[in-house]
Amino acid sequence: MPGPLEGVRIIEMGQLIAIPFSMKMLADMGAQVIRLESTGRLESYRSDSVYQNDVSGEFWNKGANFYEQNRNKLGVTLDLSKPEGLAILKELVSVADVFSENFTPRVIKNFGLEYEDLKKIKPDIIMVSSTGYGFYGPWANFGATGPATEGAAGLAYQTGYLGGPPLMAEIPYTDYTSGEHTVFAVMAALMHRLRTGQGQFVDISQTQATSATIPEILMDYSANGRTGPRRGNQDTAMAPHGCYPCKDAERQDNGGGGDDRWITIAVSTDRQWQSLCWVLGQDEWATDTRFEDSMSRWQHRDELDALLGPVTRDWDAHELMHALQRERVAAGAVLDSKDLLFDPHLIERDFYEVVSHHESTGIPPLPYAGRPWKLSKTPAVKGKAAPLMGQHNALVLSELLGKSAEDMAALEEAGIIGYGPTTPRPVRRPPMEEQVRQGRMQRFETDFQEQVRKAFPGD
Amino acid sequence: MTEPAQTNRALDGLKVLDLTHHIAGPYCTKLLADFGAEVIKVERPGGDPARRMAPFLNDEVDPEKSLVFAYLNTNKQSVTLNLKSEKGVQVLKSLVAESDVLVENFSPSVMPSLGLDFQTLQGINPSLVMTSISNFGQTGPYRDYKAADIVEYAMGGLMYISGAYDREPLKHAFNQAQFKAGTDGASATLMAAYHQRLTGEGQRVDISIQEAVATGLRDVVNNFTYTGAVRRRQPNHSGDLSRLRASSDGHLIPNPGIGAGLNWDVMVEFLDLPELAGEKFNTPSARLVHAEELGRILDDYFVKQDKYERFYAAHQKRFIFGVVQSPEEVMADPQFAARNFFVDINHPALGTLKYPGAPFEMSETPWQARSSAPAMGQHNQEIIGHRLGHTSEQLAQMRANQII
Repeated sequence: MPGPLEGVRIIEMGQLIAIPFSMKMLADMGAQVIRLESTGRLESYRSDSVYQNDVSGEFWNKGANFYEQNRNKLGVTLDLSKPEGLAILKELVSVADVFSENFTPRVIKNFGLEYEDLKKIKPDIIMVSSTGYGFYGPWANFGATGPATEGAAGLAYQTGYLGGPPLMAEIPYTDYTSGEHTVFAVMAALMHRLRTGQGQFVDISQTQATSATIPEILMDYSANGRTGPRRGNQDTAMAPHGCYPCKDAERQDNGGGGDDRWITIAVSTDRQWQSLCWVLGQDEWATDTRFEDSMSRWQHRDELDALLGPVTRDWDAHELMHALQRERVAAGAVLDSKDLLFDPHLIERDFYEVVSHHESTGIPPLPYAGRPWKLSKTPAVKGKAAPLMGQHNALVLSELLGKSAEDMAALEEAGIIGYGPTTPRPVRRPPMEEQVRQGRMQRFETDFQEQVRKAFPGD
Repeated sequence: MTEPAQTNRALDGLKVLDLTHHIAGPYCTKLLADFGAEVIKVERPGGDPARRMAPFLNDEVDPEKSLVFAYLNTNKQSVTLNLKSEKGVQVLKSLVAESDVLVENFSPSVMPSLGLDFQTLQGINPSLVMTSISNFGQTGPYRDYKAADIVEYAMGGLMYISGAYDREPLKHAFNQAQFKAGTDGASATLMAAYHQRLTGEGQRVDISIQEAVATGLRDVVNNFTYTGAVRRRQPNHSGDLSRLRASSDGHLIPNPGIGAGLNWDVMVEFLDLPELAGEKFNTPSARLVHAEELGRILDDYFVKQDKYERFYAAHQKRFIFGVVQSPEEVMADPQFAARNFFVDINHPALGTLKYPGAPFEMSETPWQARSSAPAMGQHNQEIIGHRLGHTSEQLAQMRANQII
């Protein structure tokens, strides 16, 4: 069964997450995504977080983050600083439906790859640019990271512990928020083109997309001129509402750092409150007038938080979650990397997809996160690993653009295309023991390969 | 064949029947409506519970004055319908017959219990796309589990890595998981609609909010599958250059650049901090060794600085500094102003307010605010009356029977 986007061809000039992630989502659903990269300027995700932390050999084909963001794509290397490279890119655009990129506008203008330029090559092209602050405006050429746009958007300002400074996610969070909006934007543009035959330019501001998801503060400021305090995990209406410690017997047994197990609980009704008291065996809470209705619970939310922690601490997080959910109380164990990978619910739903890697990489078949949607009639295509560097040069340039064997040899000779970085420079990470000591990792488990293989046997 | 009309709405002609409530579903249908789909919002007789969600204009608790509701329901029409009545279900089915897409975000057991399971609806309209957004998806052992945004953060893997190293995990403010799932729901709905346009086939779309969170975690799971490591919240005391730091007037993210591309000497000169020159700090590994001292020097420096002055100055040198903006600063941001991000929308009960506008720009089919959020049942007459052919007497009867 072909994916719903079978027949859509996308040329991607992406880097890191914002565009690569969104184009992966479209590739998963059947679009042909041809990803361009440079051999001179190695994408950092290619060489970071490599398999078994081993940077020997072709390390640029072993990076976890690269495989994560580039499933189901074709990989072509192209040196765009040379006119021949740029000419090939334009040939690709001439047979494409979508061109997407996430460089700063300055770079795109220097290459002569603005929408007006591409429109001359392919009148109905859909061009998607994703930038930190938007393609035009006084900040247009300001480079940005996820944290920078999380700050600019207003999200970081409001996130933090009670009384503490602003805090941000430990991942480039807004790359995903904007990436999710990018998928939608491409689909909207494709729908429009299907009806009218018209292409267009889509200008994604990673900041803007993120601000669109925080009306709670922006509308409140707009209407009431008010800015609320940072609330930690507390809610504006529910109480108790928080993250509470749990028992960590397992990790203490296996020598891992203990005492980092948690459960989240959110109570919105009197019935749920009574159920929570009952599950936790706290009869006196159930009759305490401070907690008798949702308003009084909310007013005494600090007391509630102080009471809950010492009681949840005796529970296993998963056991408490199931016990509370049986009574229809919203509760969820805080899943770490491993819990998430082996979560029985996600496994039952086939959320993870086992992907085979090229044998030259030495990476066994591994599970990767799938997609947040399931389409009953047009499901995702079967997952293929992200391309090795230059893996599809021949397929794309010969078969699609009709380059001869001599052309290909000449391109390689001139350094326009290639199969590895011109200046290989791996990112060496400290040994796992050291990463745990520094606090970057909670723990590591030496038998992880066997655990993964057992849970995800693949084909 | 008549030539399709050229309009400047990307989703012109897409008819969406919207049974959603709260945030995730309404954000999905807002995206569709704001880019041109016709969205009919079906509210229960008491209205979408989001109408009772704070904040309100001037804190007046009124179903027409919830600010988040007003934001989430622009460009939609509202009808009220009691789906627990036979007549209500019958009216809904007539609406299904003329819709391309139905979106709902009830618990998975609700639609079947109303006799509105996908098979039944497909019987009425074989090319229907039915999108369901739910906490944990339509299948699996946690299918009927309850959730709030914080529970989705926990179960989606984002909670564990967020917050301070030695404290409880911390979620983002507000309802980010819901917004993620809403966006994903809109994308997946259009994928199915695209297929529908090409083949006439309908299908079921199942969105899990947990999976919406778990899809966007970069290397959290891969740390384990690649190295056996479990990632946790990061220690905050290091000299990590990408850290957020306090300024005299707030906070900024004085990240000078990424990895090996950073020219340390230029950075030291820019900050005018000669004590950072030399080999004690000029390589990534040296900075790791002297992380605490570096962190202290940078903290002492930035806390005396004006965040916008440093932000603009850094970008002159192409250091990719970021700035933490308050809502007030966001709304005064010259970049947003140049892009007209905040848009005036006039609403009968709220008056004219500035709303966050286009999440992204489309050159030919721009984001549009055609109408403000509807009053509860505002379009009963027009849609249930005129379009479905019920007389005024029949409408009065339905109102008397609490169907609408």
